[in-house]
Amino acid sequence: MIEVSRLSKNYGEHQAIIDLSFTIEKGEVVGFLGPNGAGKSTTMKIITGFMAPSSGQVKVCGFDVFENPIEVKKRIGYLPETPPLYTDMLVEDYLKYVAALKQVPKNKINALVENSLKKTQLTEVKRRLIQNLSKGFKQRVGIAQALVSEPEVLVLDEPTVGLDPKQVAEIRDLIKELQGEHTIILSTHILPEVQATCSKVIIIHEGKIVAQNSIDQIEKMNQGFLLLTVKTKRPGSIESQLKNIQGVDSVEVVSAQHYRIKITEQDHIIDRIANEVIKSGSGLLELSPSRANLEDVFLKLTYGQSKVEA
Amino acid sequence: MYATLVIFKKELAGFFKSPLFYFLSFMMTILLSILFSISLDKFAQTSSNAMLQFGMQPQLLNIHYSVFLPHLSIINLIFIFLIPALTMKLISEEKKVRTFDLLLTSPINSVSIVLGKYLASLVVVCGLIGVSFVYPLVASRVFEFSWAPTLVAALGIFLVAAVYSSMNLLASSLTENSLVAFVLSIVFNLSIWFVGALNESFDEVLIKNILEHISLNNHLAGLIEGTIRTNGLVFFFSLIFLFCFLTERVIESARWRA
Repeated sequence: MIEVSRLSKNYGEHQAIIDLSFTIEKGEVVGFLGPNGAGKSTTMKIITGFMAPSSGQVKVCGFDVFENPIEVKKRIGYLPETPPLYTDMLVEDYLKYVAALKQVPKNKINALVENSLKKTQLTEVKRRLIQNLSKGFKQRVGIAQALVSEPEVLVLDEPTVGLDPKQVAEIRDLIKELQGEHTIILSTHILPEVQATCSKVIIIHEGKIVAQNSIDQIEKMNQGFLLLTVKTKRPGSIESQLKNIQGVDSVEVVSAQHYRIKITEQDHIIDRIANEVIKSGSGLLELSPSRANLEDVFLKLTYGQSKVEA
Repeated sequence: MYATLVIFKKELAGFFKSPLFYFLSFMMTILLSILFSISLDKFAQTSSNAMLQFGMQPQLLNIHYSVFLPHLSIINLIFIFLIPALTMKLISEEKKVRTFDLLLTSPINSVSIVLGKYLASLVVVCGLIGVSFVYPLVASRVFEFSWAPTLVAALGIFLVAAVYSSMNLLASSLTENSLVAFVLSIVFNLSIWFVGALNESFDEVLIKNILEHISLNNHLAGLIEGTIRTNGLVFFFSLIFLFCFLTERVIESARWRA
């Protein structure tokens, strides 16, 4: 459905993305994950044909974005970071205009506009001026705008920014609902969003892909390990004792009373650590295990191993 | 073609929905009403005692020269400032509020964007000239005159206004700030009148000829006299094409400059 090969984009000296390659199959929901400035938006802008890359190739539905931009753009619905809204128009008129721009046949426009209003729950405000809507509603008009031509591919750049938690949940449900009939790419730096909606994740850091896989597999990258948080009552230096225990992978000293320990997933190791802490006389205050998840993988991949020994 | 129509309709509706348009046309009609009635009154006085006007230019006894041409030249003067105000937001605003992204990711080419917007501004200009024709129409109840030269002169003004519109569309595409676009447009509109005046300061025949040929004044003069010359029309249409083409290039360049 979408094939990106060896894509690069330079802004003068600065390389925004370097040699990206990935493919997205029909019906997949793919999350672009990365810290701010990683190159998510740039990649999306290139896929939608908004911007030309410095080198590389993008194919959408078999059409090259640069040789056949019109065909590609007919098949893409795009929500940019800032929703492209004419604030002096009514919601309904605006969507009709977008539908016409997207070359929707005249006799279908009204039905499609109604449909996208319903999907984004905007029917009540359709006769209102966009400038009088709240930020959340404006964001939803932006999503409605991307949906209105029923495109095969939806590209959503941070779709839940500015929405309240209930609306965020609604948008997630909407994305789940659209799954299957549309291929969806969404970018975000909010991890639960990806876990809740996407079937595949592409993690980008400093313009490069650092991981791309299904969510399950990415979470498995850290499987077999447990993360223990240990807090003691009194300060003490027990780092070396903890390291000597068999099965302990690494120990990070957060402070003299706070340690983060990565261990192989076996129960008796936790017992031994507890024993060791009590023996040292520092007094055990807290010992809590947590399973390594997407967040750890994300932090590990993007901020490097030095900071987070997860 | 369909895309051009979609943008044309949206922009045209945008003009007529904005209070700015009504305010500007209101100001324009006030100015014209005052000035037209003054010159008409003067003309009525001169022609009522024409016999006493010895040594006077005979042209001034012609309503076309003494009333309608000053009327049209005031319209031209108003247009130098009014068209920038109308067109300043056409592209700069789209860039500023990021609706430009929508246009560039829609299945339309940049020629449609420019044509749609340009044609909409032309219709508005046409409308304004139409409104200004109320005055000669009223005058025709009092005086008897031939309409043809006035209509040709109005065509001249329309062509000049079309050149302004194309230049101002270019100015609007160059910036995100509509105020900058406005000022730049006025500079453009004024400067095309100075190109012709430059030929006074050159002695070389070749340069003189070139400057004379690219002077808007020269080409307009023929139309004002009531004669349509092909070279004049070609000149106006090439200017319009040039600036529309440049605008299209600027829009297209957003893809690789961004």
